[in-house]
Amino acid sequence: MTPRVETAALGLGVLGAALGAWSLAAATLPLPDYYLPPPTAVLGALTDLTAKGILPTYVARSLERILLAAVTGLLVGVPIGLVLGMSGRVSQFCYPLLNFFQSVSGIAWLPLMLVWFGFGERTILVAVNYTVLFPLIFNTLLGVRSVPRLYVNALRTMGAPRWRIVTDVLVPGALPGIATGLRLGLAYGWRALIAAEMLVGAQGLGYMIFNAQSFHQTARIMLGMGMIGVLWVVLDYFLLRPLEDATIARWGLVQR
Amino acid sequence: MTRMAATLRGAAPFAALVLVWALVTRAGLVPPLFLPPPGDVARAAWEMARDGSLWVNTLASLGRVLLGLAAGVPLAVALGVVVGLNRRLAPVVEPVIGFFNALSGIAWLPLAITWFGLGWWSVTFIMFNTIFFLVFFNTLVGVRTVPRIFEHAVRTMGGSRRHVILQVLIPGALPSIVTGIRMSIGFGWRAVIAAEMIATSTGLGFLIFNAANFHQSDAILVGIAVIGVLWLLTDRLVLQPLERRTIERWGLVSTAP
Repeated sequence: MTPRVETAALGLGVLGAALGAWSLAAATLPLPDYYLPPPTAVLGALTDLTAKGILPTYVARSLERILLAAVTGLLVGVPIGLVLGMSGRVSQFCYPLLNFFQSVSGIAWLPLMLVWFGFGERTILVAVNYTVLFPLIFNTLLGVRSVPRLYVNALRTMGAPRWRIVTDVLVPGALPGIATGLRLGLAYGWRALIAAEMLVGAQGLGYMIFNAQSFHQTARIMLGMGMIGVLWVVLDYFLLRPLEDATIARWGLVQR
Repeated sequence: MTRMAATLRGAAPFAALVLVWALVTRAGLVPPLFLPPPGDVARAAWEMARDGSLWVNTLASLGRVLLGLAAGVPLAVALGVVVGLNRRLAPVVEPVIGFFNALSGIAWLPLAITWFGLGWWSVTFIMFNTIFFLVFFNTLVGVRTVPRIFEHAVRTMGGSRRHVILQVLIPGALPSIVTGIRMSIGFGWRAVIAAEMIATSTGLGFLIFNAANFHQSDAILVGIAVIGVLWLLTDRLVLQPLERRTIERWGLVSTAP
């Protein structure tokens, strides 16, 4: 067997054993049913909620919110980071502030946002956008600052105008920072979204699993958790990795 | 630059921020309920420090993070090294841990509440969970990406398996492990705030969420400031020295001697 086939076979074996152990534990452990529903119950919740249309709706809501935050972050955060990073003085001044605001996650601002916007969609969107935005600005700024001055001076010497320095040196040089910022921002933002949906409760997967908890519908909780994990893998595979492959991996700078 | 000047330079942006904040609120551009003036927030901080609620809740949050680290890091590093050593098992386990890593944190809260009830255990479980999977994943990846040529070199010179583990694999994986610990503190700190809002009645997360119920915007801002300052202090006093002692010492940042 080739190592690849062997790994796949071993993987299937481990998966089967885990499912078997889970079923056995659910059937034999002296616990109330809602502590550990068997895999079949989770499968049942999947077909049930898909048939009722709840699961597709909630998955779409959560995905919409995180993708909106990603697009806003790229369109707003990256230009801000680039502009701030261009001047040494300005970036030195902004660095501690940005570090502070990126370390206070949107979820910590959520109580204040509830006072501002009330319980609703706006609070969720602002909290998630905030959480994605600041790591992106911060890391874009760091990326611009990490570009060696030598390259800027080289272009200057050859008579390049200022915009050529931005497009040919600073933006490409900041791309590893931008990719890091997007990866970190989205990872924080995805968790902030789940938490915000739990606290504010306007549809979405976070709302689904939190609501299921109040009714002891543990199979629905596990289904929701599975979806949260799968969606992140999908985001990673279809959004983050292509972006990294198209930019930093091409220059041999990848760091996952 | 002297230490004093560096501190001043770091504090200046915050002083400017407070000044703008004071001007905006003084001019009456926003109602005090939405953004109370800095004076009110300082007064609220003083009140909360005097009645002890600030200290109790800060210590509760910090204690949870430390407990999560103390329980999660040793276990995760040990398991990561053991699994990483097994060249058949490692490629199977890696995506599984990666998946749980993607899921870690607040998404476990409803299940944690089902299992442990509202309160201390649920929040601590979230902390442990967040830290454990991140450090496990990074240790595993770190051990697996150590170039085998170093292992062969030690073996050729008559080194035992014990030598390979202690002299090659663990030092080689160290940068990745330290990165994992650094990230786990960042993710864990966010997770604990969110979990405290929902599942318990102590900690900074509870403090700010409870203040929102009473529309005490000044108390919320005190909580936010403490959360941010604690992170800046952790970064400066723990994480940066940790990286200097490990990653830089191993010559992975500075040039080779």
